[in-house]
Amino acid sequence: MNAESRKRSLQYFFEKVVGPLGFKFTPDVELKEFLLDQEVILEAKHGAPFCPCQPLRHDRTRDMKMVCPCIPFHREHFDAIKRCWCGLFVHKDVIDPNTLPQLDQKDVGHE
Amino acid sequence: MSNKFVRAIRADEIAPGGMKAVDLDGREIVVCNCGGAYYAVQRRCGHMNAPLELGTLDGIYLTCPMHCAQFDVTTGEALSGPVPPDPDHEALPPTLGAYMQNIGILMSHVRTESMRTYRTRLEAGWVEVG
Repeated sequence: MNAESRKRSLQYFFEKVVGPLGFKFTPDVELKEFLLDQEVILEAKHGAPFCPCQPLRHDRTRDMKMVCPCIPFHREHFDAIKRCWCGLFVHKDVIDPNTLPQLDQKDVGHE
Repeated sequence: MSNKFVRAIRADEIAPGGMKAVDLDGREIVVCNCGGAYYAVQRRCGHMNAPLELGTLDGIYLTCPMHCAQFDVTTGEALSGPVPPDPDHEALPPTLGAYMQNIGILMSHVRTESMRTYRTRLEAGWVEVG
């Protein structure tokens, strides 16, 4: 399977999911391409495009909440920091992701 | 199939985003309407032969109804294999569980192949496939 083709299709499907949730792809193109590369590798290895920044625990219930885009499962924290954990998605109003605050999950009451 | 085009289906029989299976000279083909652009691919999934017209078409991406393998209908390229099964699925009776485990082992060796594509053209309201 061609990694570049898979990246483009993941991007197509992800945009449809994250847009209505108020998110968009990070404007940092290099980061976006890197993270999508990693997701294609993870999908080839594990069968699903898991978040590249989270460990797999081989606990299906928990791991499936790490399939990208995982926004619905961690929304409270992502809304507070205006991005997802790996930074692939940011709130639609974000222009420079580097200026976003870093808040612990506990600070927003999300465990 | 020869180089000549043959009528496959009337264009207005497939709504945008829709698919229909046709049989052309014994060949099973699915004609896809991607927003007014028509593409034709083999009917059988490159993973386990499921009939693809029962799947979903989103843009140029076709998802198989059986194990959710995805394909690009413009190139026939396989984009992903089957989604991982749920190992914690409701407990099965022991005999059936053992059978399903065996099936799982067999399936882990099944590759998802790219699909054959066919040329298409619109002629007098018909989608022709060559």
